Amino acid sequence: MSTISIAVVIINVILALLFSLGAAPILVWIERRVAGLIQDRLGPNRCHINGIRLGGLIQSFADMLKLVFKEDFKAKAIQESFFFSLAPVIVFASAFLSFMVMPFADDLIINGERFIMQGLPMDLGVLWFLALAGLSVYGIMLGGWSSRNKYSLLGAMRAGAQVISYEAAMGLSVVSVLITYGSIHLGDIVAYQGQLLFGFIPAWGIIIQPIAALIFIITAFAEANRTPFDLAEGESEIVGGFHTEYSAMRFGLFFVGEYVAMSASSALIVTLFLGGYHLPYLNTQTLQAYMPFILMVLIVALPLGSWSAMRWIQKHNRWHKANDIRNHESAFLQKGLIGLNVLVIAGVGALLVLGLSETSTNVATAVIQIATFALKLLFMNFVFVWVRWTLPRFRYDQLQTLGWKVLMPLAIANIFISAIIVVARGL
Amino acid sequence: MGIKIVPRHGNTLKEKLYLPAIFGGMKTTLSHLITNLSDTPEIKTINYPEEQPHDISERYRGVHRLTKRDDGSVRCVACFMCATACPAECIFIEAEERNDGVDEKMPKRFDIDLLECVFCGACVEACPCDAIRMDSGIFSFIGKKREDFVLSKEQLLANEEKKA
Repeated sequence: MSTISIAVVIINVILALLFSLGAAPILVWIERRVAGLIQDRLGPNRCHINGIRLGGLIQSFADMLKLVFKEDFKAKAIQESFFFSLAPVIVFASAFLSFMVMPFADDLIINGERFIMQGLPMDLGVLWFLALAGLSVYGIMLGGWSSRNKYSLLGAMRAGAQVISYEAAMGLSVVSVLITYGSIHLGDIVAYQGQLLFGFIPAWGIIIQPIAALIFIITAFAEANRTPFDLAEGESEIVGGFHTEYSAMRFGLFFVGEYVAMSASSALIVTLFLGGYHLPYLNTQTLQAYMPFILMVLIVALPLGSWSAMRWIQKHNRWHKANDIRNHESAFLQKGLIGLNVLVIAGVGALLVLGLSETSTNVATAVIQIATFALKLLFMNFVFVWVRWTLPRFRYDQLQTLGWKVLMPLAIANIFISAIIVVARGL
Repeated sequence: MGIKIVPRHGNTLKEKLYLPAIFGGMKTTLSHLITNLSDTPEIKTINYPEEQPHDISERYRGVHRLTKRDDGSVRCVACFMCATACPAECIFIEAEERNDGVDEKMPKRFDIDLLECVFCGACVEACPCDAIRMDSGIFSFIGKKREDFVLSKEQLLANEEKKA
């Protein structure tokens, strides 16, 4: 193994960590701030480190620290303490591992060596995700059962029944997608979505397979235990559901696991239906062919975007009390933005002036694709949060009815239709 | 009185699909989010300890105060009406004779335990001399130990009426 290949593997692992584990505090922040703003409240905005509060992001880190240092309390009635401790680990690990097959960028070619840009370079793709996402419910059921608490047990039962009814519909909707793309490898699926449909529409999954996309997104909400399908928690009915008896970092693992699972589901939705790492109309080949132009557009667009961001910061990022240390934050953020601009423009300008070699074009493509993937992932996560603060929770029988009587027949019908279309096109 | 027939909802295809209603709801929440990020936010929250609430009514029942006569002495005559009326039994009065010729009796001690008090205002209603009122406008009272919450006669006399 050469130095470059080791470096690329390490970068891949770090990126996978960032997108899943590193995203958890950011997602908690987004959840709380978006919830506040949607409900005409402020949300957490006071916590700061030397005046820097990043719109309240520091609060997430403070909360994490609190969870780590809290007393690890366990009720006396809990006898199966091994399973009690194992449960959050299963939830967290399965959510975390299911993220590892998401491709962040097209295969990177450096000096003739080909690297698959995902956390674990394997081509199990969708199957890996389905296997591990289904595993996480064992953690919930184990936790609910070993808690020795009727509310926990009720939550665990609900989670189990919910996953059984929604995993079927999810699997079937994925089958129709796989029939269309003809591969289970997520890299191939994304490459397929780089094409154009009828020559002018990007062939994204949501356009080719709208019904499968709808079913998959709905079942992904259920799979990640998010509202409107968060009956397993059901804090208004069964205290805290499966994590009633959990505290400190054991609860923290459940909590982070939920957000990692949400991020993993979003990543799969992006990969299957929203074109993965592709910018619309720019698949890898066109991106590489027009790289100088795209870099020039970047040089123009980045300062414009930063300028409007700075104007927003000047107007809104104020602390209501004069002479507070938090008032220095705006200047700091603006300096940071200017510094970022100078760095990026200098780097890209140097690339353009010196001329693009093949390797640098490939690396630039990968960076642009990773940024695109990150943005799409962020958007999809925002949709998860947005839906949570819009819709109320389903009643238990409504949930079962929707799963078995609506989504499942729809998914089966969709398989037949897509199979007929694929065969007819092949004739 | 005629019979009003309420039409049943939820039977048309559009309503059974649920999705139009869901997207409508998501549009509403998104419009709130965008408004609150824009130049004219409609956020109702105040930044509490720095910004004080401005919509507390004049009739708000805050921490009690003992009123004074024109000469500045305590108006209370230690008749125990408030302590009798109190449902939480949080008023403790010890009476003494008043020798300055203004009245016959006055409280030696007049303690109110705010941790017991339910802020019902029954003491104010019961007082025949208008000696106890709850118009100080103090809505948050802070102490570091339980004893801090037992207000003495001097503390109650020091509370001023809230100026509008």
